[in-house]
Amino acid sequence: MIQKKICLLGASSVGKTSLVKQFVEGIFSEKYLTTIGVKIDKKTITFENEQIQFMLWDMEGNDTYNVFQERYLRGAAAYIIVVDQTRTSSFHEGLDIHTLARQVSNCPAVLTVNKNDLPATWNIENNENKVYKDLFDLHFSTSAKTGENVEAMFLALAKLLLKG
Amino acid sequence: MTSLLNKVINALEQIILEVIDPTTGTVRWVEGEGDWAKDLFPQAGNQQVFTINEETPFLFDFLYDAKLLWKENENGRLRSGLWTETTLNNTELHLEAIAIKQQQHNILVITNQREDFKVQQKTKQVAREVLLSYDRLFLKNEYLHTRLLSILNQPSEQSHILTTLAKVIENAEFAVFIASSDFNTNIENTAALSLFEEQTFHGSEPTRPINIILNLMKNQLPEYERIIATHSSWDGELCWISPPSTLKWLKVAFYPVLNKLHEVENWIIFANDISTVKHLVQRNEKLAMQDMLTELPNRYAFLQTLEKHIISAQAFYLLYIDINEFRRHNEFYGHEEGDKLLVELSKRISSAVKSTDYVARVGGDEFAIILANIDNQASCELAIQRIIESINKPFHTKKANSFHISISVGVANYPNDAQGVDELMKFVDLSAYNGKKNKKNTVQFYSQSMKDASQHLIIVEQELRQAITNNEFELYLQPIIDIKTNCINKAEALIRWNHPEKGLVSPDSFIPVAERSGLIITIGEWVINRSCQISKQLSKLGFDIKISMNLSPSQVADSNLFTYLKDCIQNNQVTPYLLELEVTEDVLVDDYSVVETLLSNARAMGMSVSVDDFGTGYSSLSYLKKLPLDYLKIDRTFIKEIVADDNDKAIVKAVIAMAHNLNLCVTAEGVETQEQLSFLVDNACNSVQGYMFSRPISVNYFIKLLNEQL
Repeated sequence: MIQKKICLLGASSVGKTSLVKQFVEGIFSEKYLTTIGVKIDKKTITFENEQIQFMLWDMEGNDTYNVFQERYLRGAAAYIIVVDQTRTSSFHEGLDIHTLARQVSNCPAVLTVNKNDLPATWNIENNENKVYKDLFDLHFSTSAKTGENVEAMFLALAKLLLKG
Repeated sequence: MTSLLNKVINALEQIILEVIDPTTGTVRWVEGEGDWAKDLFPQAGNQQVFTINEETPFLFDFLYDAKLLWKENENGRLRSGLWTETTLNNTELHLEAIAIKQQQHNILVITNQREDFKVQQKTKQVAREVLLSYDRLFLKNEYLHTRLLSILNQPSEQSHILTTLAKVIENAEFAVFIASSDFNTNIENTAALSLFEEQTFHGSEPTRPINIILNLMKNQLPEYERIIATHSSWDGELCWISPPSTLKWLKVAFYPVLNKLHEVENWIIFANDISTVKHLVQRNEKLAMQDMLTELPNRYAFLQTLEKHIISAQAFYLLYIDINEFRRHNEFYGHEEGDKLLVELSKRISSAVKSTDYVARVGGDEFAIILANIDNQASCELAIQRIIESINKPFHTKKANSFHISISVGVANYPNDAQGVDELMKFVDLSAYNGKKNKKNTVQFYSQSMKDASQHLIIVEQELRQAITNNEFELYLQPIIDIKTNCINKAEALIRWNHPEKGLVSPDSFIPVAERSGLIITIGEWVINRSCQISKQLSKLGFDIKISMNLSPSQVADSNLFTYLKDCIQNNQVTPYLLELEVTEDVLVDDYSVVETLLSNARAMGMSVSVDDFGTGYSSLSYLKKLPLDYLKIDRTFIKEIVADDNDKAIVKAVIAMAHNLNLCVTAEGVETQEQLSFLVDNACNSVQGYMFSRPISVNYFIKLLNEQL
């Protein structure tokens, strides 16, 4: 079985842990519980008769209280930058993290605009934001709450990693 | 001994692994035990050799870094950071590993960090919830503020406005008041009524919610009087205690709505109940006293410390630092960049002061510093100089654009200026305000004369408003003579104020006040309109004389200026080529793109542009090539000594030559003698202006002069 390390990165409270929980356990909790340090979860999926085990490195969000640590990206097959569609600042912070991550890794990068069940305060399709989409290999609009696109995102990532 | 050591290690919830082979990650479990450890390494037991593998992926990954340490000969330690491991029986362990190299021994210590994890999670959870909720609050406030301002600034029927406003604010999730300038009447939303609902004793009238806020501000905010008097906005936290059972923390935003005369027409007030957030924060002593963004002590911590310093009766200086144009910075770069600036600034201030000094963030863009152990002004000035030097270095946005900021520093001394917290804060706030709107760094020590001057400014400002309403201004014209024809071909429009009691007031004494209060826009518009009227009048009399109007920095920055100019020209049916805009060098370099657009538009209409006081401002000449200009006006200071001073001669000659090379014409200002004129004629200057020909004169007298010239 193929094992792939995937890092979930982003500002704090964008829903990284919720995405992992939705993907791994199929559940969502409304209560926000901040992640401290790193937590690794595993999930095996089958794609075109091939099994792939994702090692999901869910990392503490980056803000005043926690700076991004490049070393956690070592050996990553891909990373997912999670941003929150109710806070533009999370998008800018996500782009900053992406820039830092690119300095140490060339692995595929996914942008996921999470919380799409809530009213958006900014839009990735706006002219000024659109250009940033090209910085990523894949991009998704997800909701950890409803589960929309969560499975699809990981499947697409599996496909990209297996074909690549 | 070994047994005691083992007990200590167990009490610390640690296990110690001796690294047998760093390359394979083979270790021997040498000390420590516990259920958690067995859960973590079910394959191993005490004193057994085992290999750390991908079953514990975080630790396995950490071995890469640890191996580098273990390869070294030097002693050293490396921490992994916290991680959470889910064991086979689904228990979550919160762990940290420490790789140690000690006297050629390679050791790996694993610690169960459940206590530390809990503390960190509790603190960060609160901190992040607070950050999030303030972030959301800020966005909602900004949105509603902009919307209300756009409604209030629209010319419309009063009754219509009130209905629209009432509708808009009703849907807000927080308390909103829109009050008249004297706060006597206001509209408020349901959220406001429920936020300030209080138990009243039988028969007693409930206090109006807006009065509750105003009383809280008066009692808790030493800056209150200054905010009202200077029509400033404010945001911050207030605590409302109303016995027997009310204790609420409110985040209040207070904004003036100004009219063209910069009088307050209305006040917009937002109040958010942040008691829950505050309660969360107060459960954590550190967060309760700390500003979440900059991690400096907050206003409450500061006031307590200030009180302690006063009690100790040791002399100190209190500084109040206010960032000039911070609101504009926020609008231009965005709220996030504003936050970034505050964080960077707080770091720079902290590193510029001594460790015995005390720095706090006491308001949105305000910092306060207690300079302890300083009892003389000279030492205080040195300390301020260090702060200013640290701020003068460029700041950078996330996109690596560099920019500069300036600050206003208000200073007061304990015990000489004041002996109480409220008075000290009031004085430093007033001192800092006096430097506000100045784009340069200013330091203002508190003094009675400064207080009087500040009072005087408020009076002049009020008189200027009356002057606008009562039409007390008059436009004088100073002739400009074309050297070739020796005839008047242009006139500079200069404002005069016919004060009902003081008589004719010089612009030098009121324009700076107008500039500072924002009234310059209205006064500037009056000048433009009156210049157009005069131009029309002169044209009707058959004189093709250009009228040159001075534009102030604020006017140039005003986005409505060009539309106003265009409307005036159309309404007065003036030929644009008979109008000229005069701007100073400082204005030209201040905001290149804004100036360029304005001047290009003006020239496209047919107006000309001249640079006033040339030679006194910035020496960079690159803008002369880039900007659409027609005339340079050499400042009078160079003309004054032109006959005797060889340097001035050289400068004037050089300016004329350079201007002609750039196809610009030159006007010399302040020409008073025949000798000066001869020099200018000999050196091909194009036109002259000065007392030798005429002082600034009334329009009627100017027309008389023109008639005499015929």
